[in-house]
Amino acid sequence: MANTRNIKKEINNKLHDSIMRNALSRFAAQYPAARLKSYANVDSIDDLRNSLRDMKQSTVAHIEEVADEFESSLKERGAEVFRAKDGDAVKDYLLKICKENNVHRIVKSKSMASEEIKLNSFLEENGLHVRETDLGEWMLSVAGQRPSHMVMPAIHLNKEQCAKFFSQELHEDIPNDIPFMIQTARRVMRDEFLQADLGLTGANFGIAENGAIGLVTNEGNARLTTTLPRIHVILIGYEKLVPKIEDAAKILRLLPRNGTCQRMTSYMTMVDGPTPVIHKVNDQWIEEDRKVYVILLDNGRLKAAHDPKFKEIYQCIRCASCLNVCPIWTLVGGHVYGHIYSGGIGAILTGLLNSMEDFSKINELCIGCRKCMSICPGKIHIPDLIDELRARNVKEKGLPLPVKVVFQDILANRKIFHSLLRLASIGQKPVQNGNVIRHLPLFFAKLTEGRSLPAIAVEPLRDRIKELTKNNPSSPTKRVAFFSGCNIDFVFPETGASVFKVLQNLNMEVIFPEEQTCCGKPILGMGDRETAKKVAKQNIETFEKAHADVILFACPTCAETWHKTYPELFADDPEWSTRVQVISSKVREFTSFVAEAYEEQHRFIAVSNGKKITYHDSCHMKRGLGIYKQPRKLLQDAAGYTLTEMNNCDKCCGMAGAFGIKFSEISKPILAEKILSIKETGADTVAVACPACMMQLQGGLDQQAPEIKVRHVADVIAESIL
Amino acid sequence: MEKVCKDWSIAFDPELVNPNYWNEFEENAKAASAEIWQVNSYAEAAEAITTLIQTTKAQKVIAVGNEESIGLASVYDSLKSLDINLYTNKFAIAENAPTADIGISTAEFAVGETGSVCVDSYSYESRIVGMLPPIHIVFLDRSCTVENMTTAFKVISRVFNKGYMGFITGPSRTADIERVLSLGVHGPSRFIIIAVDEAANGGKN
Repeated sequence: MANTRNIKKEINNKLHDSIMRNALSRFAAQYPAARLKSYANVDSIDDLRNSLRDMKQSTVAHIEEVADEFESSLKERGAEVFRAKDGDAVKDYLLKICKENNVHRIVKSKSMASEEIKLNSFLEENGLHVRETDLGEWMLSVAGQRPSHMVMPAIHLNKEQCAKFFSQELHEDIPNDIPFMIQTARRVMRDEFLQADLGLTGANFGIAENGAIGLVTNEGNARLTTTLPRIHVILIGYEKLVPKIEDAAKILRLLPRNGTCQRMTSYMTMVDGPTPVIHKVNDQWIEEDRKVYVILLDNGRLKAAHDPKFKEIYQCIRCASCLNVCPIWTLVGGHVYGHIYSGGIGAILTGLLNSMEDFSKINELCIGCRKCMSICPGKIHIPDLIDELRARNVKEKGLPLPVKVVFQDILANRKIFHSLLRLASIGQKPVQNGNVIRHLPLFFAKLTEGRSLPAIAVEPLRDRIKELTKNNPSSPTKRVAFFSGCNIDFVFPETGASVFKVLQNLNMEVIFPEEQTCCGKPILGMGDRETAKKVAKQNIETFEKAHADVILFACPTCAETWHKTYPELFADDPEWSTRVQVISSKVREFTSFVAEAYEEQHRFIAVSNGKKITYHDSCHMKRGLGIYKQPRKLLQDAAGYTLTEMNNCDKCCGMAGAFGIKFSEISKPILAEKILSIKETGADTVAVACPACMMQLQGGLDQQAPEIKVRHVADVIAESIL
Repeated sequence: MEKVCKDWSIAFDPELVNPNYWNEFEENAKAASAEIWQVNSYAEAAEAITTLIQTTKAQKVIAVGNEESIGLASVYDSLKSLDINLYTNKFAIAENAPTADIGISTAEFAVGETGSVCVDSYSYESRIVGMLPPIHIVFLDRSCTVENMTTAFKVISRVFNKGYMGFITGPSRTADIERVLSLGVHGPSRFIIIAVDEAANGGKN
């Protein structure tokens, strides 16, 4: 399947599935508030998250010992334990169990691991009667579909579609009445439970010290699956293990709240070793201990446990909340992710547990907005892990040729790159087609429907430096070296001029080291770390020579790349590591830096009745750098505007690096939603602190609400300086 | 009846388990669609169940816990006077569970933070009385509440060595079709907690 997929076509189909789109957008709108409500009675969500993360981190550090203890606890209590290295091992073992115990009928209660290894079809091919018992999964298995979400498997369907699947399976005419369908499911599935020989479950956790496994469900299907059949098989991945009984609470205080916005699911069941079952043998009721088999599944998990980066996947408790807030999942649903695990964490799990080939098809579906990181119970750095997988994939397999040419021959050579940009300002034509465009910084892209892209400025910022530095103060308090980034340099030079003006007005000297080049983010985004290192070195050398007190950025993405990624790139290189430490410690972002100076100089004055302005939080600014209060303070108390907040002010605008161009069909609806939120505020200006967002919003407003202007905070502030 | 722990009170440190979290428990349990009946005595509980049997026209009741509690034994005795079939033997329970109307069992303590009750379901019969009939009643000592899941697991860790136990928080539910909440998909559609004020009843049975 992996080789023949046309991901663009799949995405297009999903974007036109209005039933799914409506369901997902309704859900996405309700989820954040519902989640917070479920946490209203805990003191600190963050404390709970930290305690889960710490427990999981210390567990993965000793995973073999924990697994050994889990195994011996279970054996002591009379369960069989089997370590399966992969799906085939699970299948062989399970078939053996079925034969030895004369098993014909199996009921299953939600096990993602069994979907991961495609167990159902295997069992059916071997003549076994297998039924999913979770209502959503049962409907999907009848429909021949896969779950599109780990917690709400059938969220992409409506009741009419569900009724159709009911009717098909039961050969009865089932009306699309939800309570009726539920009662029908109860009746049909009750027989399945009562007749089953074997119950197969997954586990939300496994406790090493006593061998218990835990299952959370709302329907109660896991409770029935672990009670009625005479045999219980548990398929559990290594990442579900925890050392102590009390550790289970750390999972349970977060999982239902993040997963389904409940303080607890209806049923939370723990099974520890064989327990009694009463059943009829030769027409006689007898009581005996049920047989319990535990299959501990590796399938790539142990390798990940020993990987310095990917061991983080052990912090995942499969709540799927990373999907619930993902702007991409909200639009295209879970199926385009291909494998069983969808969304950001799904892309990672797919790469590690399934195949890198599948991963390489879908890895670009992460927009890098970091919304998932802000709520993940285990605090997994999902976008960073996707970057890491991508980088390793590139290291192993190399980049596709056109991309390689762009990165290694153009972007890595400042002179060629910048001449090309100047050329673009004249022609705009030579680079406007083919594969070249989408891998260059954003402004090379073609005009797209619903969004126009800005032209390259006639005069880039770098050509105006002489004129701008004339206004430098004679006895400055600070020497500031400005790293403009490509967007400000070549598309929004006026914003660059505003930065000069604001800082000079603060009695600071501003310099522009001319050898500076692209920060390297587009290259890093494609996973080419070697070329990124070359570019980084060039920038570091240039700014070392500048001998500045501060290196200033008016683009949060460049700032984050310098501050966070540069040190990571050179972590194994002692010489450069030292140099980059010195340099990255000087990195400051414009709004927070200016707000601090204004605070010191008592320049903030609360004004009322100013003109209405609204502010859009850039993903990299808010969740990357943690800056969101300062730009607001500047707009309101320095520039004299009245700030009106928009709905979902920190939701991605849809640009996100090359994403907005490569997947413009996904980017467009995200942008349209953002424009709507802006319009609803009634403000005539939307301020941003990120040039990439500025480009995206300007393009959208141009075509959809030309009366509203988008401006960088630097421009707004500069305007208020006489 | 086999249990994970014969006597849970040995695990009840008064610092962790006390009546202080009742109000939060009640609020959260009701939010999870559980029904809570507060009674001062087992006699009062028997009356309430009698009314339920009459209004729902229940024919068949399966019940556990009479061996462990004199109070429950007295409740079941009084139900025997009604024109219904009441089964308390484990094999009779197994035989009749698929067609029973009401199941009755016990809970060990309640959790304020979540509205959950902790159930010790080591025995097969205690599990099916809670899962197969459309109505499940649990008896709970009103004075046994803990603050949250963290404290609940502190208690559990003292006694959980082997077996089957967990929490129930309201009736069986699903939202798998259009995210519309529906009760009673696989398990009961009504979950009733009868909270007996043991103190008012003159101390523990």
